[in-house]
Amino acid sequence: MIEGFLKEQQTLEGDLNSDTSHKSSVEYLINWFRRRSIFVLAYGTGCGAIEMPPTFTSRYDAERLGIRGAATPRQADVIIVSGYCSYKTLRRIIRTYEQMSNPKYLLALGSCTVNGGMYWDSYNTIKKLEDYLPVDMYVNGCMPRPESILEGFIALQKEIADGKASSWEKYEENYEFYRKNQEAVLGKKVSPEYETNWYLYDGGV
Amino acid sequence: MRIINTLLAFLSLALLLSFWQDNFSFYVDLALLGLHGVVVGVKTSALSNVFALLIGFSWLMVSIASFASKKNTHSTLFLWLPILSLALFLIVYTVDYLLFFVGWEVMSIVSYFILAPTLTPKALLKYILFAMASALALLMGIVILYSGAETLLYIDANHGFTLLSQQMKMILVLLMLFAFFVKIGAIGFHYWLVDSYAQADDLFTTYLSAVLSKMGIYGLIIFLTQVVDIYSLDWKILAYTIAIIGVTTSVIATFKAIKEDELKRLLAYSSIAQLGYIVTILAIAGGMGGVLYHALIHTLVKLLLFINIASIIALTNRSKLSQLGGLIYRTPHSFVLLLIGIIVLAGMPPLAGFASKYLVYTSLLDAKMLLILSAVMFASVSGFLYVYKLIYGIYLGHPTHKSLESVDEVSKWYLIPQYIIALLLVIIGAFPALIVPTLNTVLVQLHVAPIPFETSTILESPLGAYNGFVVMSAFAVIFVLVLFFVWRVKSKAKNVKNRFDIAYCGEEPTSATPLHYGYGMGQELQRVGFIAIIWKQSSASFYNALTLMLFSLSTRLRKVYTGNLASNFNWLIIFAIFLLCWGLE
Amino acid sequence: MILFDLFLILLIAYSVGFLYYGLYRNITARFQRRFGPPITQSFYDSIKFFSKEDSTSHGWMFYLGPIIMMTGAITTLFFIPFFYDRADFRGLSDYGNLFVVLYLLVVGPLGNALGVGVSGNPFAVMGVTRGLSRLFAMELPFYIAVIALISINQSADIATIASNQHETINAIAYPLLFIPALFAFIGMMGQSPFDVVGAPVEVYSGPAAEFSGKFLALLMSQGAIFSFAKLVLMVNLFLGGASGFMELLLKTFLLFLFVIAFGSLYGRFKTPQSIDFLLKVPTVIAIVGLILATWS
Ligand code: SF4
Repeated sequence: MIEGFLKEQQTLEGDLNSDTSHKSSVEYLINWFRRRSIFVLAYGTGCGAIEMPPTFTSRYDAERLGIRGAATPRQADVIIVSGYCSYKTLRRIIRTYEQMSNPKYLLALGSCTVNGGMYWDSYNTIKKLEDYLPVDMYVNGCMPRPESILEGFIALQKEIADGKASSWEKYEENYEFYRKNQEAVLGKKVSPEYETNWYLYDGGV
Repeated sequence: MRIINTLLAFLSLALLLSFWQDNFSFYVDLALLGLHGVVVGVKTSALSNVFALLIGFSWLMVSIASFASKKNTHSTLFLWLPILSLALFLIVYTVDYLLFFVGWEVMSIVSYFILAPTLTPKALLKYILFAMASALALLMGIVILYSGAETLLYIDANHGFTLLSQQMKMILVLLMLFAFFVKIGAIGFHYWLVDSYAQADDLFTTYLSAVLSKMGIYGLIIFLTQVVDIYSLDWKILAYTIAIIGVTTSVIATFKAIKEDELKRLLAYSSIAQLGYIVTILAIAGGMGGVLYHALIHTLVKLLLFINIASIIALTNRSKLSQLGGLIYRTPHSFVLLLIGIIVLAGMPPLAGFASKYLVYTSLLDAKMLLILSAVMFASVSGFLYVYKLIYGIYLGHPTHKSLESVDEVSKWYLIPQYIIALLLVIIGAFPALIVPTLNTVLVQLHVAPIPFETSTILESPLGAYNGFVVMSAFAVIFVLVLFFVWRVKSKAKNVKNRFDIAYCGEEPTSATPLHYGYGMGQELQRVGFIAIIWKQSSASFYNALTLMLFSLSTRLRKVYTGNLASNFNWLIIFAIFLLCWGLE
Repeated sequence: MILFDLFLILLIAYSVGFLYYGLYRNITARFQRRFGPPITQSFYDSIKFFSKEDSTSHGWMFYLGPIIMMTGAITTLFFIPFFYDRADFRGLSDYGNLFVVLYLLVVGPLGNALGVGVSGNPFAVMGVTRGLSRLFAMELPFYIAVIALISINQSADIATIASNQHETINAIAYPLLFIPALFAFIGMMGQSPFDVVGAPVEVYSGPAAEFSGKFLALLMSQGAIFSFAKLVLMVNLFLGGASGFMELLLKTFLLFLFVIAFGSLYGRFKTPQSIDFLLKVPTVIAIVGLILATWS
């Protein structure tokens, strides 16, 4: 059985090290470490949340790929939005996302995050998550099985290793766009006690 | 008034330091007053000089801090303070118990005058009752001592003491211990202390904790080493008892401090706990070095802490941990100074507190009092909880009120003495044996073994030495290297702009959210059996029971002595008959 | 020369510490019947966090908190000798002794507690509160055992205590001191059942809640160094010390294995429960052990 696991892992990781010719060696190294260690904040919004525990515990054991849970947004690299988001939840997701430190990635599960899915007609859920926050990787299905979630992670790891997963940069560049969409559903005070100019200021020691 | 007071303090300190080496003595024979054989006098000695230095230094520091308030609010305090200090100087410089008693009485009464304007009547009553009981016990002890020796000089007292009968010796020891334990606030005798500390003028609390409590220690040192030879085999049980009282005091007071919400009460309990350590090792041979060292460090650190607290109370008009919070970036100097203070109070290595704790521990180890040592270390570690609570409640966390967000740094008059003391504590931390030669002169005077001394950086003890300079420089160098590394790594730190920007489960805390609830830390210990017992017990219940007993006793007495003339007359007749019969026999 | 020695000590502690952490995660995974991460995983994690683009800070005290923690860990390490009979790898232990080490063990966590406090995160402060409340109960049995050892050996020098055990190691000679010390040690290593401080879900990972990026990486690295320092201390005190690297690694690893096995098997105590337990069972055993060991 362990052999089977090992084989699976090898096939999954097999093509991770391709296409890195265009990177400087330091950046390559950093990206390699980043893809090798992923702390996940599993934000269980929709029904898809039920598939995350098996992914991270003994049955599917995401930790063998360097993927483990984080308790707070400060420590997390990836946030999983696991299904439909009501407006109320969206506010929390935005806040959590903005509290994570760069680089950060967003993994969206299920068709609800792509286009609203079966909540298309709902009065209080958003349809396209992409309009409010930049998504790095979609895992489709309703709901996606843990295997697909793992494959989603592997694909994300590949993008990280290649330096292509840059949604956090996109979010900062197009901040006005996202902000406008957020304000459209949440009202002017997306984050009442929170100054957005902090988010965009650079420098630091 | 303040200026004169400060000048006097400065003058006394300068005098003390310039005549440090000189011997000076002055004796008067009271035979002229009809007191045959009673010689009183003052004399400088190493021990008196050390304690006088503590008094002078604390007096000066408190006086400097007094310039902070614009109005002359402490005017009565600084009218009395020179007199009080004079009485204290008398206590430490005298060579006989008569002048000692005079000084003691003046100290108690002047303290009463200083405390009177600020204390509630109940607290004031407690103070004066205990102070008078202490003075009375002292007086009775002195009388007993005189009955044996026919003299009151310390040097002859030991001889006189040996002449007393065994019961008299015991009574004398108990009386004297009571007198000094009240001043120290050993557990059970601390009933007056916490209230007085908490309600006194903030600067006077500083003086109370730093100096007046040390007078109890000084009295104990003189009594236990000069009069009773506590280290001899005859008094082994007494020594053990004192050590156990000391360590019980430390443990109980530490846990009481953990529960406190009010700044000055917390520090008052901490004071009791620290003096408990001193009492513990006072009773063992070889502990005298630790006693003096810890007394010195404790004086310095309590000056620092109480002045800091006083400055915060003056700045914010708030005196409870639950009403403060988040002051660190408003008053960074005060924060750093309090930090130094609590590091020393907790006995952490790079600073001076560790040196004194080290002497305390090794002397207990050397005396093979291992269980007591365990208890002392237990109290010492438990102390981390209240020191962290203190600094967290005031400076860290979130402000609990809008007014705290707009205060400025405290007055520089508060900062100057604190910086002086902090500097001293850092220097002693790096050179822990710097003061050992001075202490050794005292130890030689008291006929106990001196602390081994080679260089000022190495503090020696029978069980091994440690090099304070290496510890501190290793700490400093590693700190700077790590800081440099953290500064240079790829990741850059961004300061948040808003204190509410915390990871709070995706929620957005507002100013109405109770974010500062950490000030109540330690409360969950309620659920641990023996701590709950300590918290529930209070010496008040004992004293209440005592009061009830006295009431019932006097009710009985009232049945006999009814107060009307006829019955008095009856008793007189009965008494006369009794005398008559006795005479006939 | 001594600087080179110190550098080597740090390097060894850092790498072995991370290796042990990797093993810890791997072995725990095996206990849970899963495959687990590679043993270098903790190292990857820390490098990843060091190379994040930004880290959230709450002002200078927050910045200094993890640095004090790291400083405390490294200083502790330097004051513990690796071997009892060799002139090298002694670090600064000739300048200090066991008391210094006992106190240095708590300097780092308390320094970090200041950083935690200033972050203003109530969950983090709750973690610190739990840690401090547990601390005194945890240290008491350990201190009693250490006091007994110092008294038996009449020396507070760690190397002396280690070298005095060439006939029987203290763990066998004084089991009633070793067992309580081991309980306390499990708590010091932050293992179940005494791991309520950093409960991830309950208090949002406790003191670490607000640390991100390089601060978290620093905390992880100091964790590795600190754990190794504590293991070496324990080996020196109770397991007879070591005279070569193989012996040191073997003994520390066995101890580490025991601790993590114990941690994987037991659930978590609540704070008052753990205080109650530590003050009742190990402390009483330790007092009996102290009396028996030093009676004569
Ligand atoms: S995609 Fe399907 S499973 Fe996922 S949240 Fe939507 S409805 Fe639920």
